[in-house]
Amino acid sequence: MTTRLERFLAFSADATAFTRFELQGTGQAREYLDTVVRIAGDTIVDRLLDLHLHAKAVAAASGNSAIMEHLLRRDVLSDPRLGPVARNIVKMWFVGIWYELPREWTEAFGAREGDVTFVVSGTAYAEGLLWRAIGANPPGAKAPGYGSWALPPHIPALAAH
Amino acid sequence: MVVVGSGISGSIIANELSRAGKTVLILEAGPGTDSSLVEYEAFLTRFYDAAVKDNQSPYAPNPNAAMPRSSDAVRIWPGQPDSSTYLVRNGPLATDSTYTRVLGGTTLHWEGKTPRMMPDDFRTRSAYGVGLDWPLTYTELSPHYAQAERELGVSGDVETQTFGGITFEPGYVYPMRGLPLSYLDTVVAKGIDGTAVELAGERYELRVRPFPQARNGIPNPDYDDGRGFVPVGAVSTNQVEEGGRCQGNNNCVPLCPVQAKYNARKTLAKALQTGCVDILVQTVASKVILDPVTGRVSGIEVKAYEDPVSPRHTTWTMRGHVFVLAANAIENARLMLASGLGSSSGLMGRNLMDHAYLLSWGLLPEVAGTFRGTNCTGGISDLRTGAFRRQQAAFAVDIHNDGWAWAVGSPYSDLIQMVDQENLFGARLRNALQSRISSQLQLAFIIEVPPSESNRVTVDPAYTDQLGNMRPVISYTLPDYTMRGASYARQLARRVFQCLDAADHTSYDPEDSQYVTYEGQGYVIRGGNHLAGTHIMGTSPATSVVDDRQRSWDHKNLYLVGGGSMPTIGTSNITLTLAALCFRSARHIIQQLRADASLTLPPDAPSDAA
Repeated sequence: MTTRLERFLAFSADATAFTRFELQGTGQAREYLDTVVRIAGDTIVDRLLDLHLHAKAVAAASGNSAIMEHLLRRDVLSDPRLGPVARNIVKMWFVGIWYELPREWTEAFGAREGDVTFVVSGTAYAEGLLWRAIGANPPGAKAPGYGSWALPPHIPALAAH
Repeated sequence: MVVVGSGISGSIIANELSRAGKTVLILEAGPGTDSSLVEYEAFLTRFYDAAVKDNQSPYAPNPNAAMPRSSDAVRIWPGQPDSSTYLVRNGPLATDSTYTRVLGGTTLHWEGKTPRMMPDDFRTRSAYGVGLDWPLTYTELSPHYAQAERELGVSGDVETQTFGGITFEPGYVYPMRGLPLSYLDTVVAKGIDGTAVELAGERYELRVRPFPQARNGIPNPDYDDGRGFVPVGAVSTNQVEEGGRCQGNNNCVPLCPVQAKYNARKTLAKALQTGCVDILVQTVASKVILDPVTGRVSGIEVKAYEDPVSPRHTTWTMRGHVFVLAANAIENARLMLASGLGSSSGLMGRNLMDHAYLLSWGLLPEVAGTFRGTNCTGGISDLRTGAFRRQQAAFAVDIHNDGWAWAVGSPYSDLIQMVDQENLFGARLRNALQSRISSQLQLAFIIEVPPSESNRVTVDPAYTDQLGNMRPVISYTLPDYTMRGASYARQLARRVFQCLDAADHTSYDPEDSQYVTYEGQGYVIRGGNHLAGTHIMGTSPATSVVDDRQRSWDHKNLYLVGGGSMPTIGTSNITLTLAALCFRSARHIIQQLRADASLTLPPDAPSDAA
């Protein structure tokens, strides 16, 4: 039985196309998981992560990796309850912000305490993966050094899938 | 001497006067401890933690010395001023310009571009029949530009800045070498350099040119006749080694994390070292008090508060020989008008100016490394002056290294669009982020706005803040002259995008609070935070508020300094010019104090309770 953090990392790696290694390297995994659990609750998070593992397992068994994304879209991303939470996890990884859940979600599943748009932490801001994805630094942090801007950007290659 | 405001104008004057042995008291409405790094780091933390990173995000709201915020601007309907936030906006155009009220003022959040004004900009009335002439020429101000470039620590290359009539003293070099152009600038240059433009019968050739910047770069060993230049890094009461050179944080606005960008605290720190300067923070000037017999200023009434949230305060009167209002164009005029001092010219608060910014944004066909470097390193300066200024406003063009951030909130808006609307996920999301963010090109046209008496700051007792001070009421619109420039700017942007094979993504939302139409076309015009012209200088008390030394015509021991004294602003970000003016005024005040033996000495204490 894998831990919830491991399952969270597995989902996040597929969702962001950053490797587990890169995700763990941000130091933010535990905090993001805690944030989504605190706001969306255990049941929703476990359901989302279980369905992802299931999709992965089906894809592995069939030898067709494209099935994974199809199942994920069908069972998680398009699901009114799980979809917005899954998308929030993606956005949190990229910019360190928890975005307030959509109004339809709140009306259907109830308002959650703490569900406002906020930066998870100053470190989360600096660890946003979006900047890495575009070969830049988060403005105001991780400065690349004098004159580096004159060179072409270094954009990391995507992990193999 | 009493100085109201600890921004760049007040700091330069306080530093120069204290070096001449004068005793200076600075009054700052906003908060500020000393110049400790702890406080500066707290701004940075606040910025990191802010979900909306606008140019006031590092600075805590303070109802006792409120700051306008760009998000405050809402659509104004005729006859219905918007008073829901600090600036009362009377319209017809809602300005979204801001200024920062903390120790060091707006230089904490400014971007730091420091182009000199062009010689023509000082004589637009005689040269082009538009606006006003200055009582000063470029040549007269030139030595003070050099002083300002030293104080601010400007990086630039004379070879790239000698154009359009701008000249430098023979052998002059900037303190530091120019910052390199960004990779994005060079991509744009490849596409547009050499493009010929015909305007009002004259031919111009476009090229990407760097901007001089008040940001630490590589010191030029030839500076100061070979004596070189030592960059001033972060200000701190304890030793700290940072900010000696720009690191490319791409965060000049709203806060350089290492203070490689100049802020007025660097000048204040030097002033404090003289031992002749005191600063009172959380002390809001509320009234300029005149001696009824002489008409000279006898004191400044202030309201001092302990807690920014609470309106509890004590009222004091500060006395001195000479008084300097250096609180920015809006606050200077607000204070004078709230004191019943409208200037015998009737011009106090009038001729409010700000640059009109028109944004155009497109997507380049290649990854151009957007979102790296200082906020802006280069742009197009070839249409900053010319015969066309008889008909339409001049402009400069900034190539933004921070993509479409200003126009649409990139890259956050892109991420939300891709994840929530386009349902992108995993590798396709990564690819989209890469291809659609690092190829963003935003051009910001900084367009000239000539003086107009109906663009103005007033006060109204119906609108006060929680200390009971009257708030500024802004009436503002853009003249057709500026809009003709904006219309041409939009055409030029299309041409630039065509040259670059870039897809134009520009669209102006009719619901935007700054949406304006001109000849049937709609535009969104943003403010530039380059507030100027509310107490213009001139040659006569009938047609101006201050003389060419920024001394009030009406009150001989009162100086109104800063952008407010500028009769025109051309296409130059105003800070370098207003800094130069303050060096000139400081020299004059020192001479005046020496010469003017008729001044009566004040009591020993610089202040006494009212």
